[in-house]
Amino acid sequence: MTDLKPTSDLVSSARQDGTVVIAAIRGEIDLHNSPGLRTDLLDMITKASPKKLVLNLGDVPYMDSSAIAVLVESLQRIRKLGGKIFLTNLQPRVKGLLEIARLDAIFGVTATEAEAIAK
Amino acid sequence: MTGTNPSSIEVTHPAPNRMHMKMLSHPATLAPMRVAFEAFTERAGFNHADRGQIILVVNEALANVMRHAYNGATDKPIELSAEDTGDSIRIDIRDWGNGKAPQPSHKHDPETPGGLGMVCLKQFMTQITFKPERDGMTLTMIRNKREMQ
Repeated sequence: MTDLKPTSDLVSSARQDGTVVIAAIRGEIDLHNSPGLRTDLLDMITKASPKKLVLNLGDVPYMDSSAIAVLVESLQRIRKLGGKIFLTNLQPRVKGLLEIARLDAIFGVTATEAEAIAK
Repeated sequence: MTGTNPSSIEVTHPAPNRMHMKMLSHPATLAPMRVAFEAFTERAGFNHADRGQIILVVNEALANVMRHAYNGATDKPIELSAEDTGDSIRIDIRDWGNGKAPQPSHKHDPETPGGLGMVCLKQFMTQITFKPERDGMTLTMIRNKREMQ
């Protein structure tokens, strides 16, 4: 298992286990800090070329459309490598935004990291 | 707002049921705006889920002003006022930008960036009005308290 080194404060931890990258995101994500998250996620995908990127959003109480745009861009990038993104541990407001954006069916959404890894 | 910290906002309460904010068009103001709005909408009686919807809409409206009306400039003025009218909450956002109202997207494509902010405005607000001003725009949003609860 390899620890990845994110540069954004939003990524509290990131590790690679084989073809799976698991990252924990922490804090509210909006137009101010979403560019940093974008850099970290695209870097992870480029460097690790994972088949599965699991983003634990359990410590993300809020995100806005700029964060959604980052997730969608990351999904499009990882798809080119044949990979997929799973979002786990969603808080209610984040879950609600994903639903209105109709992204809950496009990403893999699971209750826990373990479920995402097992899929 | 006048200091060097771009995230600072000036919040006043002209009456117990009213709040007024002055801020710059810097994205760092969004987080303190949300904190102030969470408290205001909680006092107005909205539950956690409804507060989340209202805060998301205000956040998206302000982000639209920053990105589009001011074309990314971070030092322009924005004023926001909110009033609890009893049956509803009324929110006015005034900017001095290019005066162009966002175009509503007819169909939101989840994998195409952009347009989600307007989707949220239309879905979570009872009424939205863009009023062009001589030198900018006023967006008025009304959310009834009995909706979606």
